[in-house]
Amino acid sequence: MKKILVCLKQVPHKDARLDVRSDGSWIQDDNIKFEINDYDTYALEEALRLKDQGEAEVVVATVGPERAAQALRTALGMGADRAIHIWDDALAETDGLGIAKALAAAAKDENFDIIFTGLMSDDANCAVTGPMLAELLGIPHITAVVKTEFKNGDVEVERELEGGALEVASLPQPCLLAVQTGINEVRYASLKGIMQAKKKPLDKKDLGELGLDAAAVAPKLTVEKIFVPPKGAGAEIIEGPADEVASKLVGKIKELGLF
Amino acid sequence: MIEWSEEQLAFQAAVRRFIEAEIVPNLEELEHGDTPPYEVLRKLYDTFGIAEMQRARFKSLMKQDGAEKAAAPTEEREGSGETLAMQLILTLELSRYCPGMVTAMGVSVGLTSAAILGRGTRAQKERWALPLLTFEKIGAWAITEPGSGSDAFGGMRASARRDGEGGYILNGNKTFITNGPFADTIVFICKLDDGSEPKDRKLLSFVLDRGTPGLTQSKPLRKMGLHSSPTGELHLQDVHASADQLLGESEDAYGRSGAKQTFGMERAGVVSMALGIVGRCLELCVEYAREREQFGRPIGEFQLIQLKLAKMEVARMNLQNLLFRQIELAQHSQRMSFAEASACKLYAAQTAMEVALEAVQLFGGNGYMAEYQVEQLCRDAKVLQIYGGTDEIQITQIARDLLSR
Repeated sequence: MKKILVCLKQVPHKDARLDVRSDGSWIQDDNIKFEINDYDTYALEEALRLKDQGEAEVVVATVGPERAAQALRTALGMGADRAIHIWDDALAETDGLGIAKALAAAAKDENFDIIFTGLMSDDANCAVTGPMLAELLGIPHITAVVKTEFKNGDVEVERELEGGALEVASLPQPCLLAVQTGINEVRYASLKGIMQAKKKPLDKKDLGELGLDAAAVAPKLTVEKIFVPPKGAGAEIIEGPADEVASKLVGKIKELGLF
Repeated sequence: MIEWSEEQLAFQAAVRRFIEAEIVPNLEELEHGDTPPYEVLRKLYDTFGIAEMQRARFKSLMKQDGAEKAAAPTEEREGSGETLAMQLILTLELSRYCPGMVTAMGVSVGLTSAAILGRGTRAQKERWALPLLTFEKIGAWAITEPGSGSDAFGGMRASARRDGEGGYILNGNKTFITNGPFADTIVFICKLDDGSEPKDRKLLSFVLDRGTPGLTQSKPLRKMGLHSSPTGELHLQDVHASADQLLGESEDAYGRSGAKQTFGMERAGVVSMALGIVGRCLELCVEYAREREQFGRPIGEFQLIQLKLAKMEVARMNLQNLLFRQIELAQHSQRMSFAEASACKLYAAQTAMEVALEAVQLFGGNGYMAEYQVEQLCRDAKVLQIYGGTDEIQITQIARDLLSR
């Protein structure tokens, strides 16, 4: 039986109002709705499709505070078999490497055949956790995956390149695939699935249980500040009679190579 | 119950995602085009495995018919609260965009199937109620007539005559029938014409299939709102019905209490519809109050706008509490009295209408334009004060109950 890990992140809901905290450290997230990172839902769907095709166990894992359990329950409702919820106060300030270390510690004895992650997260946009996790586990990885085919222990993938080009690549298993959005049509959690999710195992792990400590996940990267760029900066207002404005605008668009 | 459970929230989120992906982009066509709501509702049923769950529920209902039902184990009773919660979540979420769809769905899966489940024989339940519960077939519950609305029984002219061979001949016209134009299964309520005074005649209820000779189903009628719910007329001219189409297969099976029970259920559903409409109006209004600027600042800074928002929030909280109460009662195998259900319906309908009108006002000229959703929700909300018993009827029933204590 194949063992598949899907790493997912809970991020602010796409409809949530995002205000920057007064100290500029991050957004105000104490009173907003959260959801599973969009990229990660495609990763989960890809794993669930493998499960539908044959024997496979799908494990979902996340690093996040108490509220992140909801994301795991949703994934269990969609069809994942069990969940690992990693949290420790020391992880609150960590960076992508710290997250990858925590995930790697949880995954190392499980011997997963395939690990799926989303290409990046909707909130932080770093796109590092997947590749770092693969490196820490010593397995190959590939990013921006838009198609997968599993045969004879290998994985053949198509990945997205600049300008609409595709690249075909092959990896041995075990490996990590960081998935692009739109690769599949993500299923909805069924009513029955949601009701059953409560009975599926959800293991909580802190750093100690993973054999790590605060020093191991201390951030190497520090966020100085987050801010919304001032309105109007970088904008150019073209003035004059309509026909002149129009032709100048066309010139600008061509100059910028937008058309 | 003070909060939605984790599972209920998960279901709510999944249903919302479905609605935003499958219904919202087609809202214009569903509201104003010729596309009936059934296909997308069936997809919703399939997607969430609701049909499968309904089938299981039907099976257990069949098992614990009658006296055993009262002695159902706690787990099953809690299960019925859970089922109700999920149904109400579905209603609530659909009502945020499309209260018409709730009506089309509720009348078929709720009202019509409940009428058959409540009074039908085992064979009738299996033949007609099950395909309605799974949404395989579309149902209509035909009581209102051109000359009888609130006085549904007194003014009823639809009749059944015995044909002398154990069957019946049905005649009459029904109007404002939800799903009337497309229904596969129709519960037709009429009076037994046995030569007695019309007021003394027995009420009977028949189940008719689409295509029955003598039965005409009209095209959808044009109406103020609820455009995604097809409403029509039914005309019956010498329709032959056999004895096994008579609900309960007995002339004494149906009575006012049967219809009353159905009304009670309809009334409970209105609370979740009102909460959907109010919740959505509030959401749209808060967003608009933040963004819309007049006199150099967002209109949310004006106290008259703040008053509207605050009142909407009070309404939302009240409706939510009523909804939680309904769920909690079901979890304890209890239900509201008829008068309580009427009180809830009265409050919910009036509140939804008030909030939707205030939402249009808050949006000003934009609110009057169809492009902004509050215009549709406002038109749709009005029906809540009319169908399932008008506000005036609810008031009478609440008062009558108070005075009879």
